[in-house]
Amino acid sequence: MSGTVDPAGARAAAGPDPGAGPDPAVEMRAAAAALARPAPTDTARTTSDLSIDEELVLHSIGWEPVQLVTGVSIHSVPMGVWNWGQGEIAYASAAHAHSFALATERLHQQCTHAGGHGVVGVHVEWEILRHQVAVSLVGTAVRPVGATSLGADPVFASDLSGRDFALLHAAGWAPLGLAAGSSFVYAPRRSMTAAMQQSGQNVELTNFTEAMYAARETAMERMQRAAMTLHGTGVVEVKVTEGPMTFAHHAVGFTAYGTVVRLRDGGHRDLGATAVLPLDDPAPAFDAASLRGA
Amino acid sequence: MTDVPADPPGDLPEAADRRLAGGAFTSGLTVPDFAACLQMGLEPVGFVQGYCVMQWQWYGMGMTMGGYGPQFGGTPRGYAETWQCPHGFVSAEHRAWGQNYEQTWVEEAWTEGFTTAYGRLVEEAAALGAHGVVGVLDTEQPLSDTGVREFRVQGTAVRVVDGDPPADGRPWTTYLAGQRLAKLIEAGFAPVAIAVAVASVRVWANCVTQYLTEGTSSMYGGTTPGAEIEQTVNAELAAREVARRRILGQLGHDSLHGADMETSQRELGEGDVEFGCTLRGNRVRRFKAFDPMPAPRPTVRLL
Repeated sequence: MSGTVDPAGARAAAGPDPGAGPDPAVEMRAAAAALARPAPTDTARTTSDLSIDEELVLHSIGWEPVQLVTGVSIHSVPMGVWNWGQGEIAYASAAHAHSFALATERLHQQCTHAGGHGVVGVHVEWEILRHQVAVSLVGTAVRPVGATSLGADPVFASDLSGRDFALLHAAGWAPLGLAAGSSFVYAPRRSMTAAMQQSGQNVELTNFTEAMYAARETAMERMQRAAMTLHGTGVVEVKVTEGPMTFAHHAVGFTAYGTVVRLRDGGHRDLGATAVLPLDDPAPAFDAASLRGA
Repeated sequence: MTDVPADPPGDLPEAADRRLAGGAFTSGLTVPDFAACLQMGLEPVGFVQGYCVMQWQWYGMGMTMGGYGPQFGGTPRGYAETWQCPHGFVSAEHRAWGQNYEQTWVEEAWTEGFTTAYGRLVEEAAALGAHGVVGVLDTEQPLSDTGVREFRVQGTAVRVVDGDPPADGRPWTTYLAGQRLAKLIEAGFAPVAIAVAVASVRVWANCVTQYLTEGTSSMYGGTTPGAEIEQTVNAELAAREVARRRILGQLGHDSLHGADMETSQRELGEGDVEFGCTLRGNRVRRFKAFDPMPAPRPTVRLL
């Protein structure tokens, strides 16, 4: 299901008649006429990395962008922690958790300073190196149209797009914040006997499989715990990364993050989605020319 | 930063003059964008471009070859922050202090290259009698030798049919074209100009930053192993903030739409690093009262 901008209903009073929309050429001439006049001096400036579609859909639910905001944190990972060992690599997991928490806190501070009630479309990037874990967040602070003071609820951050935020809002849910969890685990060494027995065979390396499971369970549990700390009922749009570290192949990592959501007081609202059958031809599933290796 | 000089340089090559005087229009628009522009009453008049190849003494040579920062007696301009050693001992190999500073000479070199290329694009558009330039694309890339970079800005010059020319004769510019531009206009925003700002911040690490970056802090004390690398974090945050403030300085009372923040990091040594941040977007001006559309109707596609 998706929320789509319906150009036919571009104005509430206009109804579904496509001809009722404004004439784009007239609008363009009005814009050109405005640029021919001196620049106004009484409008508030905003910055946003939202697309025009996102901005329009945000406005349709009564929200507006305020300011582009960002948060960064880099933590050190001490020498030697990636060496062979057993169990979780606690320093690496803690570095990731602390970096994410501090970057989020800085994002919240900038949002609050700008007068935003929350941040949408947060681009989450992180990098795990041998001696550093870096987390970077960039998003657009938003608020209800015309709001002049901070909301009663704490500032939220969400990696949902403006469109998804609007859809969630329409369904009666609210984003509460970003939740993340990570875990880095040593894959235990095989014994000499096991290594020799498995040599040259098609066999599962259970030490790596088990390490992967251990990292996953711990990371997912941490993300869920973070969601519960925010009093959320769930996490949507969870993204995960997993695999061995490029600089330490005997260590595996699992990271997960997503947007914590909670049902608002009014309860879930049925969106009443309309089924549509597009009449444009789909792309051909089979191309006879491919038989000739073209 | 993208503001065009009041008196354009007027250095269009003769061949460009001949080309621009020719009959047929040229355009970099896709067919759907071309159709959308016609629907909006925008008539393409020419594919316009601006180039500038700059030699940067500093580029690829490290800081000290291209200019001296505050450490070497230069005057700090912009952001600067000093970090002292907490250990209390002095040796030839121990970094007793460190510094973050904004590399204004880097920012100025970049700005000169970009502004020159942009100015030439606008000059071509003005020579065509265009009212604006849509679908602007700006790129930069290293060219041949180390320290040489090419700035390229291109777009499609358009005229608003029966529309007013810009107040100061300088065509407006926007990264948008076609459908997206149409939606921007319908939302009540007029494109003013593309807006671009860069920031460059250098970290000259002190001992603590060096040890934390190398993971050796536990050997020397003075900080908690696994702690945040504050000097580096401050530098990256400062680079982003400088770019953001610089963009705000360009906007006046207009807004920045569709921003894109790009950050880069160049390792220069043990804890030493250079952060770059480029922030670009469309400077837009509200020209009519806001008229929000109703909440969109969700649909399920039966494919």
